[in-house]
Amino acid sequence: MTGTTPDGRQVGGPQLGIDPRGPRFGAAITSVLLLVVVLLGLTESLGVDLLARATQPAALLLTALVALFAWGACAGIQKHPYGALFRRFVARRLAPPTEREDTAPPTFAQLIGLIVTATGLVLHLLGVGGALAVAASVAFVAAFLNAAFAYCLGCQLYVVLVRVGFLRRSAARA
Amino acid sequence: MDSLLALAAIAALVAFATVLGLALRARSVRVVSGSGGDEQRLTVEWADVTLVQLSSPICSACVAMRRVATELVAADGTVAHREIDVVDEPGVARRHSVYSTPTTLVLDRQGHVRSRLIGAVKPADVRAAVDAARTAQVRA
Repeated sequence: MTGTTPDGRQVGGPQLGIDPRGPRFGAAITSVLLLVVVLLGLTESLGVDLLARATQPAALLLTALVALFAWGACAGIQKHPYGALFRRFVARRLAPPTEREDTAPPTFAQLIGLIVTATGLVLHLLGVGGALAVAASVAFVAAFLNAAFAYCLGCQLYVVLVRVGFLRRSAARA
Repeated sequence: MDSLLALAAIAALVAFATVLGLALRARSVRVVSGSGGDEQRLTVEWADVTLVQLSSPICSACVAMRRVATELVAADGTVAHREIDVVDEPGVARRHSVYSTPTTLVLDRQGHVRSRLIGAVKPADVRAAVDAARTAQVRA
């Protein structure tokens, strides 16, 4: 199988990629942590000042998750710490992957996760009540769909952005 | 918020995500026939039926769909497969209700869109859609 179009152009990226179970393993950890953020966010009261809001447990945990999403989005999914965890402790116990996945979709999903969680964190720091719980809930749904159903919500968003003309050739190639 | 209430909210969230996942899984691979419209420009001249696969760089199932289509083309010399990046053809995506990749348009010789294959459709279903497109144009 060559993976080229009749006009000889490669569309879907390189054939060599990562084990698709790696990002799903990471998404499973992320979804559990996001649920904890939702739980804490719903039970804690909003801090009175910026410092109090920044250091309350729900905000601290979400800050860590924002950092992890940023890592995945910037360095690429294959450099994500969960990926190292997966290769070291999980992959060796599993059968070899039957198919491999391009790194672009899960990396794009990390970027969407980063945007959602960072927005929630910033709104929370600005004193918007419920921002942590709402943002963590949205991110949870996306991470859960990825972990449990291998469904990439962010990837659907990509086509929608293309349709409305927000994503164009030059931007998509960058 | 009361912690019991918060736990109930968490349970509702997990339940919602599960139902959503089941619904999306049921819809993410399907064949929509008789969708209409024309894309004459995209047909391959010698082919009875052209499979136009809309892909994106952000797409896991595109590789699987490409494999299915390539195998079909190898076995049947009257069918052509071409893959275009949805970013190159946003108009095609808009005209034919393409909301996810891969979506494959099944074009007959005249460029009528006979059906849309959404997701990595099973080889037998691709074959059925191709046969249906061929039969439809013979009759027309």
